[in-house]
Amino acid sequence: MVTKTEESELKNLEIQVDNGGGGAWEYLSLVRKLKVRRSDKVLKHGLSILNDSKLRSKLGADEWTLYEQVAVAAMDCQCLDVAQDCTKALRKRFSESKRVGRLEAMLLEAKGSWEEAEKAYSSLLEDNPLDQIIHKRRVAMAKAQGNISGAIEWLNKYLEIFMADHDAWRELAEIYTSLQMYKQAAFCYEEVILAQPTVPLYHLAYADVLYTIGGLENVQTAKKYYASTIDLTGGKNTRALFGICLCTSAIAQLTKGKNKEDKEGSQLQSLAAKALERDYKQRAPDKLPQLTTALKSLTLSS
Amino acid sequence: MAEDLVLDTAIRDWVLIPLSVVMVLIGVLRHIVSKLLRSSQTPDIKIVREGQVMLRARNLRAAANFIPSKAFRARKLYYCNEENGLLFVPKGQATNPQAQMFSDPNMAMDMMKKNLSMIIPQTLTFAWVNFFFSGFVAAKIPFPLTQRFRSMLQNGIDLSTVDVSYVSSRSWYFLNLFGLRGLFSLILGEENAVDDTQRMMQMGGGFGFDPSKGLSVEKDNLDITQHDWALPNFEHHAEDVLKRVIS
Repeated sequence: MVTKTEESELKNLEIQVDNGGGGAWEYLSLVRKLKVRRSDKVLKHGLSILNDSKLRSKLGADEWTLYEQVAVAAMDCQCLDVAQDCTKALRKRFSESKRVGRLEAMLLEAKGSWEEAEKAYSSLLEDNPLDQIIHKRRVAMAKAQGNISGAIEWLNKYLEIFMADHDAWRELAEIYTSLQMYKQAAFCYEEVILAQPTVPLYHLAYADVLYTIGGLENVQTAKKYYASTIDLTGGKNTRALFGICLCTSAIAQLTKGKNKEDKEGSQLQSLAAKALERDYKQRAPDKLPQLTTALKSLTLSS
Repeated sequence: MAEDLVLDTAIRDWVLIPLSVVMVLIGVLRHIVSKLLRSSQTPDIKIVREGQVMLRARNLRAAANFIPSKAFRARKLYYCNEENGLLFVPKGQATNPQAQMFSDPNMAMDMMKKNLSMIIPQTLTFAWVNFFFSGFVAAKIPFPLTQRFRSMLQNGIDLSTVDVSYVSSRSWYFLNLFGLRGLFSLILGEENAVDDTQRMMQMGGGFGFDPSKGLSVEKDNLDITQHDWALPNFEHHAEDVLKRVIS
């Protein structure tokens, strides 16, 4: 994850480069280091460097890294002729390179010729079965073609080998959620939380999935995870606040027959409701009446 | 008897400085040569997988308190199951890294290359120092030493009355050997091939990466881990946070 300082540095560089100041190469290097997706800017500024032969020769050996970066950005923006030119230049320079082979396969994928790209990827993987990027491209291709079950299959195979890759677990969780396979999604989110326990985003997603699965135990657990999200974000996450209210009313409904002491819960709910009202007053005052009626209906139904 | 020997400044000019310069140059040369000779290591898929399993198990241990106890127990069973758990390595099959290293020709070649690149320059330089720079006092160590160091530091000097602080150039060579590591990490960057002392320590402590032992260690650690669900505390914290937000 990108830290705040890095993010602000990136923004500053971006503004500087956009307004005509220098520093395009630093911006591109930072984008490459942080692995953020700014394809249109990368394309614009990268091309400006590459087309100017003076600047290009100043880069020296880094020129080829720039070619690769611009090629990928061009593919992302669907400027396939730019991508093809860059790939050709790289192929001329490095004729026996697996990295360039990978770029060419990505170009085939960008063009939409799925079978050829699939063949290229499989042959590359035979030579080097541990190339993570190619595995992920295969999953992305399956997803782009709409073959979700194929994507799941490839992703599972990838995770059998590289099981510590939390981004892949997250992707799998999102795919499962889109297919409504919530139990599997919950498992994947647990893996992600294990890898990065202090990121509130994952607690929130996990709580959502648990709440959707339903059942008293799951809803109680979901409430706890909404609470942890609130804790980790300092109370600013509106979705978590709503989650608490919904969970409390759901728990109350599910335990209507049994006499459960829920003093703590109601305190949390009332606190969450107050925080929500305050938030709405500050940011969206015209929606406040809707909020109050919704909250009232939640507490009434409990 | 502590007499003050006055050492010729020519010694400093023609022994100490050239020796240091030569060692720096040899180090740089070795670094460049090792970069050229480095063969690309294709890691074995099994080793990568085992490494990842260990990482995942370690994550589980570290963040066990963040997932519900049912999930934790399910995962613990998955890892430590006697029959097909991920971390369970049957006794006979434990891949002995030493045997693996010697049977795999690539690895053996790599080890040999690394050893050679370390030993040969050291031996040659040492022989050169002994041949050219022996038989005289090279430097004086600023702090007093006991007599036991005489044989180590005063090798070429056959006078038993000379103070032990006056050392031969062999000790200057050793001083440089260990001291220039800092200089090399400045010049050549962190991972340079001249880090002999690091490698010597590694060789002394056994063969580095040890997959089979690692797995069983992880399994034992995981067996011990208790689950103490931290989430209820978070509920309390959340209440406090919200109280602060509202107020």
